[in-house]
Amino acid sequence: MGAMGYLCRRILCNRIKMALRKPVTYFYLLLLLFYMTALPMSLRMTVEAMGADSAGGLVTVLTVLSLWTIPANLIAFSKRKGVVYRNCDVHFLFPAPVGAKQVLLYAHFKTLTVQVILNLFVIGYGRVIFHAEGWRLAAYFVFSIVAENLLESSVMLLLYGSERMGERQRGMVTKAAYGLAGVLVLMGILAYLRGGLRLQTVADYLHGGMVQAVPVIGWYIAVLHLLFLGPTAVNVAGTACYFLLTAAVLTAARKMKCSGGFYEDAMKFAEDYEEVLESRRQGNIQRRLGRKQKFGRATVCWRGHGARALLYRQLLEYKKSRYFIFDGSTAVAVLAGAAVAFLHVREGGFGELEAFAPFILPSVSAYIIFVFTALNGKWAKELLSPYTYLIPDTVFRKLINATAMQHVQSLVNACLIILPGAAVMGLSPLQTVLAIVFHVVLSANKLYALAVAEAVCGSYLGRLGKQLLQMLIQGMAVMAAVTGGVLGMAAGGILQAYVLMDVFLVLFTVIFMVIAMLNFYNMETA
Amino acid sequence: MLEVSDLTKKYGKNLAADHIGFTVPDGRIGILLGPNGAGKSTVIKSIAGLLRYKGTIRIQGRDAVSLEAKRRFAYVPELPYMYDALTVREHLEFITRAYGVDAAEEEVQRLLGRFELTDKQDKLGNELSKGMMQKVSICCALITKPEVILLDEPMVGLDPAAIRELKEVILERRADGCTILISTHMLEMVKELWDVTFVMDRGRIVGTYPREAVADEDLEALYFSVTGQENGKDGR
Repeated sequence: MGAMGYLCRRILCNRIKMALRKPVTYFYLLLLLFYMTALPMSLRMTVEAMGADSAGGLVTVLTVLSLWTIPANLIAFSKRKGVVYRNCDVHFLFPAPVGAKQVLLYAHFKTLTVQVILNLFVIGYGRVIFHAEGWRLAAYFVFSIVAENLLESSVMLLLYGSERMGERQRGMVTKAAYGLAGVLVLMGILAYLRGGLRLQTVADYLHGGMVQAVPVIGWYIAVLHLLFLGPTAVNVAGTACYFLLTAAVLTAARKMKCSGGFYEDAMKFAEDYEEVLESRRQGNIQRRLGRKQKFGRATVCWRGHGARALLYRQLLEYKKSRYFIFDGSTAVAVLAGAAVAFLHVREGGFGELEAFAPFILPSVSAYIIFVFTALNGKWAKELLSPYTYLIPDTVFRKLINATAMQHVQSLVNACLIILPGAAVMGLSPLQTVLAIVFHVVLSANKLYALAVAEAVCGSYLGRLGKQLLQMLIQGMAVMAAVTGGVLGMAAGGILQAYVLMDVFLVLFTVIFMVIAMLNFYNMETA
Repeated sequence: MLEVSDLTKKYGKNLAADHIGFTVPDGRIGILLGPNGAGKSTVIKSIAGLLRYKGTIRIQGRDAVSLEAKRRFAYVPELPYMYDALTVREHLEFITRAYGVDAAEEEVQRLLGRFELTDKQDKLGNELSKGMMQKVSICCALITKPEVILLDEPMVGLDPAAIRELKEVILERRADGCTILISTHMLEMVKELWDVTFVMDRGRIVGTYPREAVADEDLEALYFSVTGQENGKDGR
């Protein structure tokens, strides 16, 4: 492992050095420190209120996590997709005279740092929140880092690296993993039928002997029970099975022949991974690993000239997309609109929140825009293209045309969110329109807030820092809108509140838009 | 010596390499030519051990996927990708460790100097331009003292001085008995280098031309006569 060890060591050291040179790292460290101290405090109260502040509670949390991660890892390895390589690994590592098994282990051990950090969190939280004994937590740490890694890396070597195992056999492993998950789901249904929908039923299911008898996943859960809750016949047997399995898989992995047949799949995965990373950097959150975006055939009738070309190019792209302008945010809008209307009809109002009923729809809009809308948006994406700068037109027309489709998209989402709720709540047509305008303008505000953040901090705070600043800037606009709402209510009523909210928000959005234009003008003329 | 025999590679139903066979002897420079989509990249990636294939590829008489073969082999891909967090010097250090090669400091400095990288050796991978990356990629290949070198479009992105230097290095390595295979579209760049040319089209080798056999013929004319491409028009 000389060369691999050197590679991992240097990458880690250089990354730390690079990070320490950036002021934003210290800001993030402070943020992390805050969360590390604030989160246990708030979680502690919740866990205590649930009566889960014991080692049993910790086992429940770890069991739930393992029910998700173990089948997911098995399926990913059997599909030769779970191990992440970068294009630089394909360039330097794959053709090098390094054993293919070592190349696999290198990819696995790249995750070791994260594993250690996560396990340290488990230890800290286990002690503070779940009051688990120190020696048990120490034993868990050793088990997790040594035994769990031995089994996982051996399984990965066998499934990913084996050249004897063909597509069919790997497919069978995938089916077996789904089968195991299915067995656990069936057991859950059985527990529900027997005990009804109660917290105790969930606890009985997760700590029951049946679950611990399920191969691989159950055996791992048995080890957790033995470590934290002491021995029982079932968990000792399950633990023995777990270690026997580890020994068997480790031996098989050591003896297995592996000369790099997986490189082809790993190379494709690396290319895909890099493309997804690049897409995400450009704000395209729809691009998913293993799923290439498919485009159909479409035509568009080009009208106008100059910056208009940006609008028609985007329209053409949308027409070629499978779902046109509709995406995940459309689905969220449909669900949110339906949920608000359903709740209002079923409960006959908003209960304790009835006094704020007129502001529920704008609040839902704001929440969805904050959480579910892409941070970068079309404008940021257009800024990455040199053609945007080269088009002989004014900055204003470029900005308007490059963002027009996004405004249409947010108008559609606004209608989906607002109309069902407005109908059941009996809002007037004017109030409904104003609520829709609020959504569209707030959406535009988010778009331009990024440009303001860009103008304020440049690349000084990094991508994440810029996005945090964007949220802060947009938060100011939202606060202004809230103030407008309060003033409007004081001045006369709901209609006045809606009007003032929209006016204040439009004012801020126009200011942000002008800053975005000036920023773009500076970029063009720099 | 690089021997490729009966190399076949399919992507789904698409036959990318159809029973390809050729040999580049020791101390010779082979050029792999062909229009876009001819299957050159498939052949090159197969030789580099990045693809599964049917057939046999041997490097100095050893199976190409064996570690013994890989120790004697170096690969310069068309698109260089650096480790973001490694410096130029650390890339070289990593490669010498991976290949188990002892490279003296003067040797490393001489190589970096030839490609004007001396003052860039402490730059990180993500701080390099594409041309710089290509130079580092070439240096990493050369530092292992390979017996067989595979270069995929090595001149792309290089400045004229680096192209001249690379040509000199290639000729020096040939004189040392090294086997070299270059895949390129830049016929002008390799006209003084080649010993044998393999022309590929639609996944097959459609012509093998040792220099002795086509003494005065221009490489470009030869290429167009075989592929049927002329002045940018596909004559097939």
